Amino acid sequence: MSCEHVERDLDTYLDNELDAATAMDVRGHLNECAACRRRVAEREALSRLVRAVPYYSAPDRLRARVLAQTTRARSARRLLTWAAAAVLIVSLGGGGMILWRSTGTHDDAIAVELVDNHVRSLMANHLFDVESTDRHTVKPWFLGKLDFSPPVADLASIGFPLVGGRLDYVGGRPVAALVYQRQRHTINVFVSPASNDALTQANVQSLRGFRIHHWVHDSMSFWAVSDLNEAELTEFCEALEAS
Amino acid sequence: MLPHLDAAFNYAFWLTRNSADAEDLVQDACVRAMRFLSSLRDDDARAWLFAIVRNTWYSRVSRRANLAEATPLDSARDERPDVALDPEERLLQQHTVALVRAALEQLPADFREVIVLREFEGLSYKEIAAVVRVPIGTVMSRLARGRERLMAVLKLTAPMEIRR
Repeated sequence: MSCEHVERDLDTYLDNELDAATAMDVRGHLNECAACRRRVAEREALSRLVRAVPYYSAPDRLRARVLAQTTRARSARRLLTWAAAAVLIVSLGGGGMILWRSTGTHDDAIAVELVDNHVRSLMANHLFDVESTDRHTVKPWFLGKLDFSPPVADLASIGFPLVGGRLDYVGGRPVAALVYQRQRHTINVFVSPASNDALTQANVQSLRGFRIHHWVHDSMSFWAVSDLNEAELTEFCEALEAS
Repeated sequence: MLPHLDAAFNYAFWLTRNSADAEDLVQDACVRAMRFLSSLRDDDARAWLFAIVRNTWYSRVSRRANLAEATPLDSARDERPDVALDPEERLLQQHTVALVRAALEQLPADFREVIVLREFEGLSYKEIAAVVRVPIGTVMSRLARGRERLMAVLKLTAPMEIRR
């Protein structure tokens, strides 16, 4: 691969949007070419600078207004739902109720719960019970609070520092929530024993703009929830599974 | 919608470069978003909200001609100094942030928004293409050109590269 090719693919390479084969070619070239390595370093520096710019956060009065609108819209919708349900019950008798209730699948319910937990942890300012970047502090904290010991890894070396841990509930059971950070994005990893089969199956990969990854490793069930992009969340999950 | 409100507001700010406009814009967008709630697909609510913010903004801009000149840049900033840094480092950090913000504000809107969606929101090329409604190839070239300009403005490129 030539320098011109690398220059052309520079952004796609750094954004993790190149196909695996081309990305490997780029890496091969970078091993040999100091000039291109410098170009990559400059681009990475730019990315770090831009990402260091703080968010413009929504003012509280805007949040309050949108919340008021949402509540109004939701009560109107709820009224409609109840009206529809009432019609259904009247027309079908008891059977209508059962039909109506079985529309949401169990997997969806767990996914909704995980995303709700994730959002709540960010909004209610209750991200951690134990705030630490040291896994030797986080892991022992769960002792005596859970009937299992969640594996805790720190992935700071690849840009996903551990920032803390928390006790959470999924499917009516206590689970360990490990909190990782990627720039301004938070990743919640929910861990429970895989024997708890209610939490081991899932088809939902994303919900309301949050991505959900699930895997089972060493008879532990892992759920990672974040608004991080697909490529970076996959990288994170693979690293965590391999650690 | 609420979980993505900060993201929507931040994106709106970088579209309008003005917090009063951004606030108006996000509120309008949320009203529109709720009207179309039935057509909302759960899995891309965030990107979808960005698209609504963007559409709302551009339909306003076309109504108000020459808006770019009429809208002053916002000076009241939501600065939250990082308390973990010592005063000298903090000053340096604020200085750098101000420089990068100024450089982003100077970028043409087409370049600025793809950089905001990519660097701040981590959207994939495909998601950005859907929000901005251009082909993925256009997203790629806008990102590359926008970053080139930022590099030049921020003088991140080594001197010998500039002469080239």
